[in-house]
Amino acid sequence: MRILLIEDDHSVADYIVKGLRESGYQVEHVADGKTGLVKATTEEYDALVVDRMLPNVDGLTIIQTLRAANDTTPALILSALGEVDDRVKGLKAGGDDYLVKPFAFAELLARIEVILRRHESSSAVTRLKVADLEMDLLAHKVTRGGETFNLQPREYKLLEYLMRHAGQVVTRTMLLENVWDYHFDPQTNVIDVHISRLRQKIDKGFDRQLLNTVRGAGYMLDDSE
Amino acid sequence: MILSKIFTSFTFRFLVSYVAWLSVSVFMVLGLIYAVIAYDFFSDVHRSIELELEALSEVYERDGREAVDDFVEVRGGPERLIRFFYFVADSDHNKIAGNLTQWPDAREYRNGWIGFDFESLTNIADPVGNNEFLARSKVLPSGEKLLVARHYADVLGSTKLVAGALTRSMVATIILGTIGGAITAGLSLRRIEHINTTLHRIMSGDFSERIDISGSSGDFRRLSENVNQMLDRIEVLMTGVRQVSDNIAHDLRTPLTRLRNNLSELHDDCRDPANREQVEALIEEADGLLGTFSALLRIAQVESGNRRSGFADIELCTLVSDVIELYEPLAAEKQQQFSTALARVGKFTGDRNLLFQAVANLVDNAIKYTPDGGEIQVGLSVEPDCYRIYVADTGIGIPDDDREKVFQRFFRVESSRGCHPGNGLGLSLVQAVVKLHEGAISLEDNKPGLRVVIRLPRHSKAQQRA
Repeated sequence: MRILLIEDDHSVADYIVKGLRESGYQVEHVADGKTGLVKATTEEYDALVVDRMLPNVDGLTIIQTLRAANDTTPALILSALGEVDDRVKGLKAGGDDYLVKPFAFAELLARIEVILRRHESSSAVTRLKVADLEMDLLAHKVTRGGETFNLQPREYKLLEYLMRHAGQVVTRTMLLENVWDYHFDPQTNVIDVHISRLRQKIDKGFDRQLLNTVRGAGYMLDDSE
Repeated sequence: MILSKIFTSFTFRFLVSYVAWLSVSVFMVLGLIYAVIAYDFFSDVHRSIELELEALSEVYERDGREAVDDFVEVRGGPERLIRFFYFVADSDHNKIAGNLTQWPDAREYRNGWIGFDFESLTNIADPVGNNEFLARSKVLPSGEKLLVARHYADVLGSTKLVAGALTRSMVATIILGTIGGAITAGLSLRRIEHINTTLHRIMSGDFSERIDISGSSGDFRRLSENVNQMLDRIEVLMTGVRQVSDNIAHDLRTPLTRLRNNLSELHDDCRDPANREQVEALIEEADGLLGTFSALLRIAQVESGNRRSGFADIELCTLVSDVIELYEPLAAEKQQQFSTALARVGKFTGDRNLLFQAVANLVDNAIKYTPDGGEIQVGLSVEPDCYRIYVADTGIGIPDDDREKVFQRFFRVESSRGCHPGNGLGLSLVQAVVKLHEGAISLEDNKPGLRVVIRLPRHSKAQQRA
């Protein structure tokens, strides 16, 4: 997997490069918007990580240019703090996700993995399956080992998101943004309670625990032991 | 209302004491002038009598009795403007010469001065009036006694005239002074009133307001300019303090994130479960710190007011029920019940993420501070000019004294320190969000517990702009 990082802050860039390489990605780093745009258009990458504020050409312009040329390479926008409401602008410009600096590396990694996968499986699916847990998206039915679960609408949405990203770490903020559709900082870990409720339903009485907590990062629905 | 304001005003009290002092000083000055003039008049009288006595004794000693009669004839006639009376007597007060019949029955003053009433003189052919006389006597070396008398009604008349004039000018001075003082004080009062209303507006939150100095001049202009400069200075200091804390938060966030990331790497490399657990605790600690900094920066960002660009039409009802839905499992863990009364209200223009955050913080607090099994009420209703959102709990509430302070950053009610987690920023953020939407937040007693009420204006300036 090749990732292009366009970021002018060297300390941030260094630690992203280091982290991504350790996670098994090939990373190329450029510090300038113009070079970044040239690289992004002339070479093939699996994902782009683009800082919003860049010398010469800014991040949003790079993504807009790529999208205008029908380049759908998934892109994650990094933004300095204090520009939270630019999030909408970033997504409108064609970014696939938006992350405010500074961030925990786990958060960045989780988001990169999600946009990479989203790109892979953008085709319409009617059925999700993780181990013996199955979700019928048309009938709104969730079964595991022949047992049907009665889920609340939000629990269903939560499980759907987790199943769509099975095997990936999903952070609490990602859940809030995608399942609840609000971008905010909860004072208490309300998400934990929702997760444990869901776990009660889908994991209780089964040998294999599918819904796992990843300490310091988030959760993962996983069928590998 | 206005009258009572005038009576209690500083200006009025100033005016009263000004008039009192003015009266006292005018009275003293004019009294002094009167005393000087009266003294002058009477020393003139004394001097004239002494001169006459001198002349009489000279005539008598040189030329004897007949010369005195001539002298009296010339100088004591009724045609004279000031009438003098002369008397020469032997040592037993028997008449020798003069135009008085007998030695008057007089009061003795010091230095040979005597005074008597005119009635005590008889056989006066030509009375000059029923007045007091002043006289001076002199004993000659040969034993005869000389006396010169003079009535002083004219002098008394003059002094009275002077006294009358002075009294009238005193009254005039006081009246004119009072009117002038009242006009000056009234003008000052208006200027002070203007400064006061401006300062009130500033105190109620609009710190960009300044005192209008156009049209004023002199001391008031200088005062206004000084107050304005002071306000500028305060504003600079306030933003400075806020900026410092924001900068600290901002600058510390990056190293903290690095620390957190290094810890997380360490965690991944850890083989020993005991160490792993310790590192996990450290990561949680770092996350807590990062959370505090984020909250601080978020408040700063909201307070700076440039978040309006995120405003859009939102359904308050959906927003509030989303908060309840998100927090319901948390409340259920504490066996708490939600009771909701949500009215379907129209569209509201605002930042949905920030408003969600605000209501979520309130609900979060309510759950945190309500004992197990308690009830949490959440409501949304429409009032004539605002949307009213309330979150009430049956918890420990907030003491009256602390009601205002809970909105300060990092303030936590003493009893909640230690036993409830939190960073003391939740309500500050709520307040900042409400202010951004030009609303108001108030804390009320829910008996028992706390009721937080947010009022969002239905037609705010921001809405019109949006």
